[in-house]
Amino acid sequence: MGKKETIEKLKIIVKPYIKNQEAFDNLTENTDFINDLHINSANLVDVILDIEEEFNIIIDNQSMERMLDIKSAIDIIETKLSEK
Amino acid sequence: MIGNDIVDLALAQKESNWKRKGFLDKIFTKNEQLMIFNAQNSAVMVWNLWSRKEAAYKIYNQQTQIRSYFPLLLECFDLEIFDGTILGKVVINDNIYYTKTEITDQFINTIAAEKFKDLDKIKTLENRKNIQKNNGIPYYFEIDNIVSKPVSISNHGQFERIITI
Repeated sequence: MGKKETIEKLKIIVKPYIKNQEAFDNLTENTDFINDLHINSANLVDVILDIEEEFNIIIDNQSMERMLDIKSAIDIIETKLSEK
Repeated sequence: MIGNDIVDLALAQKESNWKRKGFLDKIFTKNEQLMIFNAQNSAVMVWNLWSRKEAAYKIYNQQTQIRSYFPLLLECFDLEIFDGTILGKVVINDNIYYTKTEITDQFINTIAAEKFKDLDKIKTLENRKNIQKNNGIPYYFEIDNIVSKPVSISNHGQFERIITI
């Protein structure tokens, strides 16, 4: 799966939780889930669970710690997919 | 340093499905999950514990400058009801923070401090007047503009709480 495709899938996943439409419309790899998209910290768990379901991977606690922006999410997804 | 977190219960119910598969396991330790299952009102216990973790994290984040997502590493313990509020502690690695939680029908608010005796010194501010941020951390400035006090701001839904010490 290419990076572009992963970002598109991530956009669909985060959309229900975002509170800043402008940041969402201009989403890049550097977009931060909490600071930019204003996703509340309890909903970040939903984002992580949705990623697990969509990509059929398990995000361990150590990976979860880094799950703060699009870039880290892509990195974690790619790593977990390659381990499969 | 102080921390503060408020949860709008109606909004939390709308925004989060804590009964979703995997949700509790990613946020709460085994002991905390026991507290949730044994609670009279499990939903209130979910947000009670969550607000403690968030308030404690705000201190930890300022102290260590570590920004990370590790709700499981912050564990709530020693909860006890005292005069209508709930006292408790939150531990992360070698740090212990003291917490005091107020629960109403509409919101849950936790304040956290590094020392137990500081909890009683925390005051609520009515507005953001005289609050300025320095390095992203808010401070309250006295009239002379020389003395500054740490501030913690939390808002969720229709509630906002601003505290200082």
